[in-house]
Amino acid sequence: MDDYLVGVLSNIGIVSFIALSAWLLLLTGEISFGQQAFFAIGAYAAGIATALWGWPLGAALGWSAAIAGGAAVLVGVPTLRLHGLYFAIATLGFAEMVRLLFEQFHYRVMIDGELVGPNGSDGFRGIRYIFENDVGSLQFLALIYLLLAAALAGFMLLERSRLGVAFRMIGEDDTLAALNGLAVARLKILAAGLAGALAGLGGGLYAHLTTYVEPRVFDVMLGVHSLAYGLIGGLGTALGPLLGVVIDIGLLESVRAFAGYRMIVFGGLVAVLLIVRPRGLLDEALVHRIGRLFVRAPPAGP
Amino acid sequence: MPEVPVLELKDVSKHFGGVRAVDGVDLAVARGEILALIGPNGSGKSTIVNLICGLFPLTAGRIVLDGADISDMPMHARVSGGVARTFQNIRLFGQLTVWQNLWVAQNSGEQRRQGFGRRWFGGSRSARGEVERTLEFFDLAHKSNELAANLAFGEQRRLEFARALSAKPALLLLDEPAAGMNAEEIDQLDNRIRKVRDDGVTILLIEHHMELVMSIADRIAVLNFGRKIAEGTPASVQANPVVREAYLGTPEQV
Repeated sequence: MDDYLVGVLSNIGIVSFIALSAWLLLLTGEISFGQQAFFAIGAYAAGIATALWGWPLGAALGWSAAIAGGAAVLVGVPTLRLHGLYFAIATLGFAEMVRLLFEQFHYRVMIDGELVGPNGSDGFRGIRYIFENDVGSLQFLALIYLLLAAALAGFMLLERSRLGVAFRMIGEDDTLAALNGLAVARLKILAAGLAGALAGLGGGLYAHLTTYVEPRVFDVMLGVHSLAYGLIGGLGTALGPLLGVVIDIGLLESVRAFAGYRMIVFGGLVAVLLIVRPRGLLDEALVHRIGRLFVRAPPAGP
Repeated sequence: MPEVPVLELKDVSKHFGGVRAVDGVDLAVARGEILALIGPNGSGKSTIVNLICGLFPLTAGRIVLDGADISDMPMHARVSGGVARTFQNIRLFGQLTVWQNLWVAQNSGEQRRQGFGRRWFGGSRSARGEVERTLEFFDLAHKSNELAANLAFGEQRRLEFARALSAKPALLLLDEPAAGMNAEEIDQLDNRIRKVRDDGVTILLIEHHMELVMSIADRIAVLNFGRKIAEGTPASVQANPVVREAYLGTPEQV
């Protein structure tokens, strides 16, 4: 495989994590413009763990998911009491706050006669784990897709569980969900925590793929894209946000014909889809129709 | 008083700004009875249902369920405490299948006492059998895998009833379940309400369809302008001049 293709595929894989993160919140009816904050927290946490503390990659990735998930729960407790637009604005504000904090974040340690670590707006260079341990770009690509497959398997399990149905109920009508005995606030915080952990894991992978992170990468546009992937791809299945990522990065960003026009085409696509298919390409109705092709016997249930 | 009522409203009021939607209502629903709550439009019937299930807080008074004060409980806790309801305008999860609608609504009280893993990821056989029985009872088994949004109106009404019943309530609040139904459907509804009551569920029924009310209610309470103006057997309420006046107006107004 040539390097360009490996690069594109790696990108698609990593961005898929943050897209899934925003999508999970969409499922529970919340629009978040702030998942890039957890992506950033994961990236810094994992980078610090391997480059400064000498942790192995696996532990660092677990740590990035845990700390981002924990942060998401902490932010979720006050903000998930807000609804709709107010929640969206709160997430946006929080994400910008996190980005600005990383602009000020200095934590440098002398390693092999060199200062390594986050250095404010200059970013965090020297996350060289994959070079030092001879992890090839193909191997890292495999790792990304292995973790992504695990995340998707988790979503498939979720979709078939009561919890997944409960999340969808909350997304459709949270009052009615409460009247079905669901503790809406607690379940929303759980969803926010899971979403934060997913974004954090993606961030951890990102830091090791690019070997350096800088705060400006985690700006609002990343959050807006992550959200848009789910809206384009559809709310019916966890493959929806992935389809969104493939369309944007695989097609618009990577194919030369669209060079320079990516944002115009992307914005237009979002606008058209919101009118024509408000719940995305793979919406619930389509997923349901496809599902019935495979399940013939009527009372199958979950 | 031989037994604690399933539900007791004690001097319950709900004011929206200057509007006294419900004003000092006392009401007790005895175990196993069908109590119909009737009254002209805007008399506060639906507000009372909303107060019982916790949709908004009380202005004054207390609500007691099975002897326990539930006035300040959140909605979901009241469901596991034994209150379930239907809506006047059908309210379902349209993007979920009929099966899913019932599966998660099912038996919330018991579910809450289970561990996290069993409650959310366990797919027990008994849960399955129960959903299937409910579907049979409401003649919806053949629609099990259909999205709720794709059902016909009558089917949606049945699903709404089924969903509320799946929570295994001690008290079921039916808010105009016959609205928009034809004679045959009302007949079936009448039968189902009776069967549910015979299974031990206490029912508070709000209904405009007087034939249905007179046929199945054990007792009737009448509201007008947020106040209770009469309570008693169907016959006594029918004969009550105050009730007639509320519905038909005084001679001068006519």
